[in-house]
Amino acid sequence: MATVQTDQVTLTIDGQSVTVPKGTLILDAAKAINIDIPIFCSHPKMAPVAVCRMCLVEVEKMPKLQPACAVYVAEGMVVKTTTEQVGKYQKGVLEFLLINHPLDCPICDKGGECPLQDQTFQYGPGASRFEFQKAHFDKGVPLSDKIVLDRERCILCWRCTRFSEEISGERELALIQRGVQTIIGTFNDEPAQSNYQGNWTEICPVGALTSRQYRFVSRPWDLDRTASVCPACSMGCNIQLDARNNRIGRFQSRENLAVDDGWLCDAGRYSFPQFQRTGQDRPQIRRDGKLERVTYDEVIAFTADALKASGQVAGWASPAASNEELFLFQRLFREVLASPNLDHRSAALEDAEPDDVTLPIADIERCDHVVVLGGQDVIDAAPVLHLRLFKSQRKGLQVSKVGATDVKKALDAVPAEAQAVGILATEANKKAAVELQEKLQKKVKGSVRRLIVTAGPNGRGAKDLGILPQRGPGYVSLNGTSGKGRVEWPGAGVKALYVHEPSPLHGFVPTDAESMWLSGLPLLIFHRFKASPLDEVAHVIIPGHAFTEKDGTVTNMEGRVQRILKGIDAAWVREDWRVFQEIANHLGASWDYESVEAITGDLVRALPPYRAVNEGARVLWSESR
Amino acid sequence: MALREIFLGPLYIARALATTFKHNTKPIVTIEYPERQKPVPPRERGRHILHRYADGLEKCVGCELCAIACPVGCIVVEAAENTPEHRVSPGERYAKRYEINLLRCIYCGMCEEACPYDAITMGPRYDLADDHPDKFIAVKEDMLEPLSASLQDTARPSGAPSAQAVPRKW
Repeated sequence: MATVQTDQVTLTIDGQSVTVPKGTLILDAAKAINIDIPIFCSHPKMAPVAVCRMCLVEVEKMPKLQPACAVYVAEGMVVKTTTEQVGKYQKGVLEFLLINHPLDCPICDKGGECPLQDQTFQYGPGASRFEFQKAHFDKGVPLSDKIVLDRERCILCWRCTRFSEEISGERELALIQRGVQTIIGTFNDEPAQSNYQGNWTEICPVGALTSRQYRFVSRPWDLDRTASVCPACSMGCNIQLDARNNRIGRFQSRENLAVDDGWLCDAGRYSFPQFQRTGQDRPQIRRDGKLERVTYDEVIAFTADALKASGQVAGWASPAASNEELFLFQRLFREVLASPNLDHRSAALEDAEPDDVTLPIADIERCDHVVVLGGQDVIDAAPVLHLRLFKSQRKGLQVSKVGATDVKKALDAVPAEAQAVGILATEANKKAAVELQEKLQKKVKGSVRRLIVTAGPNGRGAKDLGILPQRGPGYVSLNGTSGKGRVEWPGAGVKALYVHEPSPLHGFVPTDAESMWLSGLPLLIFHRFKASPLDEVAHVIIPGHAFTEKDGTVTNMEGRVQRILKGIDAAWVREDWRVFQEIANHLGASWDYESVEAITGDLVRALPPYRAVNEGARVLWSESR
Repeated sequence: MALREIFLGPLYIARALATTFKHNTKPIVTIEYPERQKPVPPRERGRHILHRYADGLEKCVGCELCAIACPVGCIVVEAAENTPEHRVSPGERYAKRYEINLLRCIYCGMCEEACPYDAITMGPRYDLADDHPDKFIAVKEDMLEPLSASLQDTARPSGAPSAQAVPRKW
């Protein structure tokens, strides 16, 4: 738990002496020397409540057993966690919990990864002495379209209600009724609307709160687990991709204190159905108005020749592609096709700069004033930011949510004596954010930093690697050789367009003007994961891997480079980078990358700040310059 | 010498035939397989059976404990949720897919022991030879107890409440 003072306290736990900072809980002190104390209600990110009584330990000179999750250490304290009395109490607590807990583990989604199961096995009694009818409550209650609540299984640890109060601040879940009739629920049984409901299922120590999408899909032992990064937004939350039989079962959070603080939003967690592969798909070429199936070799030769013959070509890469793919995409266009018309954006936006990431996500906690320019728009663009903001607010951070262009209001809200000020804004409002930063810099004494929320899990990487008409890799200026951005293509005489779309969440969605232009375009190459309306007008379709099907690295909005790993195997699909390489080689280049690692190595050589990939650290452009 | 054997020959034949005729009077131990089959012991571990409740609903809930208990990993179970329109088992969950690879199965009966609902037991059937490996994948329909005629009459109409009806409040 949080450290109150820096003074050290020495105590003895089970005969072992341990020195911890003053203000540490007995539970955490025991954890520090690998002594396991069973818990249900305690959670490292929430204030102690000591309602489950599972963590009772013996403390010398205290008449009764004490909850280790709520008692702070004191000098000379002697704690015993394995005495006969503690064992008796642990058995007793578990026997009480199991009186009304239905033994429906066979149909429970938590079965196999359930703390109540595990701790009953380790600490509990072998049998129950309760011979009467168990209490029955509602089963399978839809708490929202995402969550199913089983009230019988609930052991009233309050974790979900405390999450709702302390972590997300939405206070959606509450305890209703009293005593043995206590249940959890929403006000008036209305559907929960929180965007962080998936976290309830993860912190629930029993199977009371389970995900609708994962309902009866799998057992924990069937899952192949892959460490990856959430594909939904530019936050870059760490996920564990759980797949069964090569189908994604769920996304679970994987704690990274610097990025997600252990939480996920529902937009990200429940985005996985978008990445389920439906059937096998082959490259296609449109001949006489009809798409014909061809082999990869044919499609690559055709694409390369057609691109070469087109002259004026443009390339749109998705902000959900990996850095390695973007690096080769960029080289294919700039070096091989000599075309500067590259973009990854969906609209005309201010040019990106390395200064857009001067405020790391975790530093929000260390600011004393944060301006959210655009209010809910920013939160919607990266929902987990809200949890970080709310956590900091509880510690004293002032947050001003102002309109997207309301620079004056924001300027007034920040006091002049602020020590550290942060500005959060979306890409669309970058101009206002820069203006606000300049004005605040003059007004306040302390530092003013900004964090621009990009679009897509690798929107920052796309900017870093120069998928921009005016900037090359590493934000170098392309004086004289800059190309046209996406919005200018329809009027710029572009004869061929190459669209790379590895994620349906961040695809190329044509505007009305673009739709007109695309229908008359002589050549549209669509390199994509999933069929989309663009298939109708595409001349060449190249199937590619989804975000969840490849190895690589992605850069989140604060510039942190994180690895994504292949969670789903789609071996019949040729890797996207290999397709780029083969197109380039068909046009006379001689690239010989054998693996993604080789490209990463080359990328780091070309852009030295990207060596951060090896530590999962942030790419710091300003320090390298 | 030879002459003596010629005279005694019929005697030897008679002695041999006596043995034959003696056995003719004894009960027959050979069984006319496959028309007739020997009864198996009550605890025979033959091919698995998936059981039903008296009302026709399946006992299996698709919990996969048999699959994890199986020492050779020959069982595949995939569960799904019962709906009022499509109710397969009482309660919330049923086995949408239940397959046993009978070539890999060692007929140890661990699945039977692991099953919390006595849904799977080892049955009496042992004549499992066939002519193609694919035919040794027993699917759910192969192993389910048939709905007997009398059961079909009382079989639960779709949409009926579960066998273990849960009261709203206690």
